[in-house]
Amino acid sequence: MDGSTTAASAKRAKAPKAKTGGKPIWPKIPADFVRAMLAGHSALGLAFAALIYLVCFSGSIAVFTYEFNRWEQPAGPVLYDAAPQAADAAFRAVLAKNPKAHDLFIRLPEPASPRLSVHGEDAKGGEHTYLFDASGRLAGEQNLPWSEFQAELHTVLHLPRAWGGFVVGLTGVALLSSLISGVLSHPRVFKDAFAFRWGGSKRLQEADLHNRISIWGLPFHLVVSLTGAFLGLTTIIVGVLALATFKGDTSKAYALFRGPTVADDPRPAARLIDIAGALESLKRQYPHARASYILVQHPGDAGQHASVNLVTEGRLSRGETVVVDGAGKRLGEVGYESGSVGVRVLGAVAPLHFGWFGGWPVKVAYFLLGLGLTTVTSSGVAIWLARRRDKGRPAPRWERVWIAFVWSQPVAYAASALVALVAPAPPVAVWGLVTLAASATTIAWTPAVISARLRLLSATLFAGVALVHIGLHGGRFADPVAWAVNLGFLAAALLIMGSVYLSRPKPTAS
Amino acid sequence: MSPLWSLALAPLPLTGVSLLKRAWNEPGPERPWRILGGWGLLAAAIAASVPLLGAVRGPAAMLTVASAVALPFVGAGVERRDARKKAARELAPEPSDRRRVVWRGWLRGFLAGPLAGVAALGCGLAVAICAPGQIQSRMVIGGLIVPFLWAGGMAWTLSDNRILRAFAVLAGVSVATLGAAFLKGAL
Repeated sequence: MDGSTTAASAKRAKAPKAKTGGKPIWPKIPADFVRAMLAGHSALGLAFAALIYLVCFSGSIAVFTYEFNRWEQPAGPVLYDAAPQAADAAFRAVLAKNPKAHDLFIRLPEPASPRLSVHGEDAKGGEHTYLFDASGRLAGEQNLPWSEFQAELHTVLHLPRAWGGFVVGLTGVALLSSLISGVLSHPRVFKDAFAFRWGGSKRLQEADLHNRISIWGLPFHLVVSLTGAFLGLTTIIVGVLALATFKGDTSKAYALFRGPTVADDPRPAARLIDIAGALESLKRQYPHARASYILVQHPGDAGQHASVNLVTEGRLSRGETVVVDGAGKRLGEVGYESGSVGVRVLGAVAPLHFGWFGGWPVKVAYFLLGLGLTTVTSSGVAIWLARRRDKGRPAPRWERVWIAFVWSQPVAYAASALVALVAPAPPVAVWGLVTLAASATTIAWTPAVISARLRLLSATLFAGVALVHIGLHGGRFADPVAWAVNLGFLAAALLIMGSVYLSRPKPTAS
Repeated sequence: MSPLWSLALAPLPLTGVSLLKRAWNEPGPERPWRILGGWGLLAAAIAASVPLLGAVRGPAAMLTVASAVALPFVGAGVERRDARKKAARELAPEPSDRRRVVWRGWLRGFLAGPLAGVAALGCGLAVAICAPGQIQSRMVIGGLIVPFLWAGGMAWTLSDNRILRAFAVLAGVSVATLGAAFLKGAL
């Protein structure tokens, strides 16, 4: 947060100004401390600006990952419930394709994702996810290139998983650090609570935008940055813990969070694990819970077992995971809802980070607050650039580069979605090329032109995505979410177009 | 129905923020009462969410909704200024003007990144290994404090003009915590 609204000139202070009156209730912070904090805040923000911007923008979009999954394959089958026998039939159908499958992941229909699917490997090691109807009959294969692209961009930036997770985690740490230094360098946090001035001084305008969104969204910003940093840094944290305590064997550290273990036994089992029986039995034992997914490991072996995730309404948790053996006997729980404080906290981290705990109202709030955080990042760099300009040291090249990068992302996302609808090109390649092309506009145009043209292009592409999607799939929409997502794309197009119209240069009276 | 409770409760933070906005706009005898009422309604929304949405899920959902509903109030109070008029000069606090010395920049980066990270990991390890309680709790709490302490160390190191002080503290914390963790060495 920038401190440029923290003190008005003596002249302004004497002027009758009712709006910002009243004694500050925040303790007075020494000016030197604020200046030092601002220096650190500024340095950190600049060093990580592009990464924070990318992670925040992609995270805002990733809130709707389930909805994008449904939009990308809207024909369904859409199921709001599936009988245990259907899950069992689906499991057996995929196992028949590859009897030597190491494990199979069965996802059951739930409100956010009304599909019955089974994920596993084929005989050649290729990974597939198959969709099933209400009776467990194979209905087709899942194909979600764009949804997967946008989710992976947020979680690992399409880098190798260990490195990508670390970079995203480190970005979360930098964001958290910026929040800490930003709050400490904002002594008039309450006095300026609603001050929002637009026009005139560019620096003041951006500072008001930056500070107001930062302060009012602070609980959300703290939660997503802390949980995001934790999720991203899990590998390194567990690695160091394992080094200190298990002679580097990370599997022993992870085993503490996997619940009851079943010894590996590759001998053939007398009979295949009965998924329907296990689900029915768990339904009796957990009458208020709903099974959301089942991971079946070593199916057909004597050591076969299943981890069944059970979601109970009203809990901030990924759900409890219950382990059952090959005979369907319940071995115990991992403890996400019943275990020690630590395991329960662990179970809450992912839903809290992605906003998947309170239905669509919370998702919409997460999306808006995520875009707010993206705006805060963008305005932070704009403040620095405006400050340089005010001091007579403008950086016109960086002004062009930053504005081009900021507006490259809506364009690149829309272009990758559009291409994914009509061609088998990998969305990450389209996104990368469009980001580069949009960033290259810095060579030719001024910041105002770059901003207006990239916004116009993104609005056109967003509208194009919705229209092409309706044209390709419109007649076969089994899932109503497809309409909602298309309406969202059209609304985004209209809003961006409106922003271009509102920010156009006004003709001056001659 | 459950997710819709957060929408049904939204009028509480909405009214709360509206009262705070009025208190901010109009200083007067009612101002303290409006501030009290505003924060009171925000607290009431969180309290009401507990039985309706769950003990942990409710407050989390309500804080999110409250943050989101506050922003339109900020936007509604926008004060338009004439872009052609030059704003009055402001005495806004400027960042400290530090001497630009290359080695100091690199050292500061090293302190904020790797060294603050090692110190934070050391603290996390010390909690995971030496603190009382169940193994899983110690590990998760130790793991969660790592990003928080790293961020705090980063903020402090980048802000503190006395770079050697930051170096000494971070190095000391790293040695003490990692030493304690590796000396004990078992969960």
